[in-house]
Amino acid sequence: MIVITLADLRYRYRQFLIAVLGGGVVLAMAILLSGLANGFRTEINATVGAVGADRWVMSEKSNGRVASVATFDQAAVQQIAGEPGVRAADPVVMLPQEVLRVGGRQVTVNVLAVRPGGLGSPRPGSGSALTGGGQLVLDRRAHVPLGSAVTLGTTALHVVGTVSGRTLTAGIPLAYMTLADAQAALLGGQPVVTAVVTTGVPTAVPAGLAMFTPGQVEAHSLTTLASGVSSINKSRTMMWVVAAIIIAALVYVSALQRVRDFAVLKALGSSSAALFGSLCLQAVLVTLLAAAFGTVLSFFLTGVFNQPLSVPTSAYATLPLVALVVGVAASLVALRRATSADPVAAFGG
Amino acid sequence: MGTLRVTDLTVEFVSGGYKVTPFRDLSFVAEDGQLAVLLGPSGCGKTTLLSCLAGLLTPTRGKITFDDLDVTQLRGAALSAYRRRTVGVVFQAFNLIPSLTARANVMVPLRISGVGRTGAGERADQLLRDVDLGERGGHRPGQLSGGQQQRVAIARALAQDPPLVIADEPTAHLDYIQVEGILRLIRQIAAPGRLVVVATHDDRITQLADQVIELVPHAASLQREPVDVELEAGQVLFRQGDPSDLVYVVRSGEVVIYRERADGSEEPLDVVTPGRYFGELGPMMNLPRSASARAVSRAQLVGYSVREFRASMRAASDQHDPLPR
Repeated sequence: MIVITLADLRYRYRQFLIAVLGGGVVLAMAILLSGLANGFRTEINATVGAVGADRWVMSEKSNGRVASVATFDQAAVQQIAGEPGVRAADPVVMLPQEVLRVGGRQVTVNVLAVRPGGLGSPRPGSGSALTGGGQLVLDRRAHVPLGSAVTLGTTALHVVGTVSGRTLTAGIPLAYMTLADAQAALLGGQPVVTAVVTTGVPTAVPAGLAMFTPGQVEAHSLTTLASGVSSINKSRTMMWVVAAIIIAALVYVSALQRVRDFAVLKALGSSSAALFGSLCLQAVLVTLLAAAFGTVLSFFLTGVFNQPLSVPTSAYATLPLVALVVGVAASLVALRRATSADPVAAFGG
Repeated sequence: MGTLRVTDLTVEFVSGGYKVTPFRDLSFVAEDGQLAVLLGPSGCGKTTLLSCLAGLLTPTRGKITFDDLDVTQLRGAALSAYRRRTVGVVFQAFNLIPSLTARANVMVPLRISGVGRTGAGERADQLLRDVDLGERGGHRPGQLSGGQQQRVAIARALAQDPPLVIADEPTAHLDYIQVEGILRLIRQIAAPGRLVVVATHDDRITQLADQVIELVPHAASLQREPVDVELEAGQVLFRQGDPSDLVYVVRSGEVVIYRERADGSEEPLDVVTPGRYFGELGPMMNLPRSASARAVSRAQLVGYSVREFRASMRAASDQHDPLPR
């Protein structure tokens, strides 16, 4: 029966090819949606992790979200640094979705102000690190070249270095600058910060502040995107369903075209189970081919999206399994055609 | 060895809401080595009978035995084994799997039966050589002529070396040149150790047959004297599915013509009054009765053979009389 199944695939390769292409494109979209959903998590993890802190001390009002603008007095840095168990403590200001002016162009960035050389200070892939005021290190996704003059509010800055993979909130690039510049440009010169990051673990924090592990910061930050991630995941599920429908339609049409063949095979002694197995095998093979095509296609389509995509390995690893399930489910629609084929129908013209 | 015995076989089924009886109480015997031809017009039940012989259709009543095997009692695995090993089928429309080569098509029944790939391939090669297609084994059905496809179908039917081969209108889709080759091949395979049963409406095949079984008598060619028939009220003259023989003219009384539905109800078609006739198409076309006839009141009829009826019609026409007397 396997020989007949494979021969039929070769014989009707054009229509199977259409199913593989159609199903493959849909599966590629499902893979990319997995990457989109996972991208929110990975960019937060990368940005928070790159700070290298053991603890984040933030306003209680921040709810532990990295992009919270809940500020508190910078004097808390000294208090926290003096706590037993703290090896180093540095202030941080995170201000989401600020606008840089680069010539006539506006670039939306997430500002992360740090102490040059302190915790969270970036290590540029090209250019130099922050050393003082008037400097800016930008993520490459901002597409602003090294040495460019930019303004933030009324503060003039120069891009001295670039980093990659430092984004937040769906691919908005980070702009690193000194604490003083950020306070001057965006906080009216007030000596306030949005977080104090530490190595070592403080035994206590000042009143009104709360302490979070990096993992907690990542998790709390992701909750603000939960609705979007959920929608994307639902869309991905719908993509699986669409892929299943495409494959099912193909298998059903194939079964309709093979009704006479089924009748003949039954007349020759084949069982209904064997015929269903043949349909099932066809569906699974087509789905696996579609999955393989979708995987390759997804690599090429990754660059189309501005938002960083991070397709989890599990998405690729489970794809053959999902393809198997989709294939079997798709072949169920043709089950009746195979099992109800009347061998008497083989007679007659 | 290889004796096919059909005894009082009746098949009834439902089609379009009506009960259809392609044949009733059919009996015949065919012996090993024979070429037996089932002859009859389209619609007389040839294919239905072949389906019963192939173990694909269970008859309503009656018995089919092949040697000591009661085919009508077979079920499940025993029936599948009968289909695979005892009977080979040649279909009217060849019914080769279009995606498979000729060789692979011949291998199908062998592979279904669990014969290994090598053994099945060797057997297929041998059979294709036997039907003069040794060089065409790698071709798909679409690349073969109708005659060649039917040769492949015959080779497939012989794959398991079955003692019974049945063929349904094997020449129906062939031109006369191809017909000759296929007939020769069919005649050749009907040899000791194998009974071949061919269903056809083509009476040319009867010249080659060892036995001809006519499923429907040639009512149209029968000549007999008109028969007077008297019916009491409610008496049935003939029933739907009965063999057709005579055309009836009503002398007195009334006869209702009705169809018997599958649910047992009746669908009246007409009430035939004195001077009118009914039941002419069945005997003319060699078809079973397509409806039943029953006297509404006491009735007198005259039954004519088709020839007599035609003669009466011509005479009535010459006399400007609309009906035969």
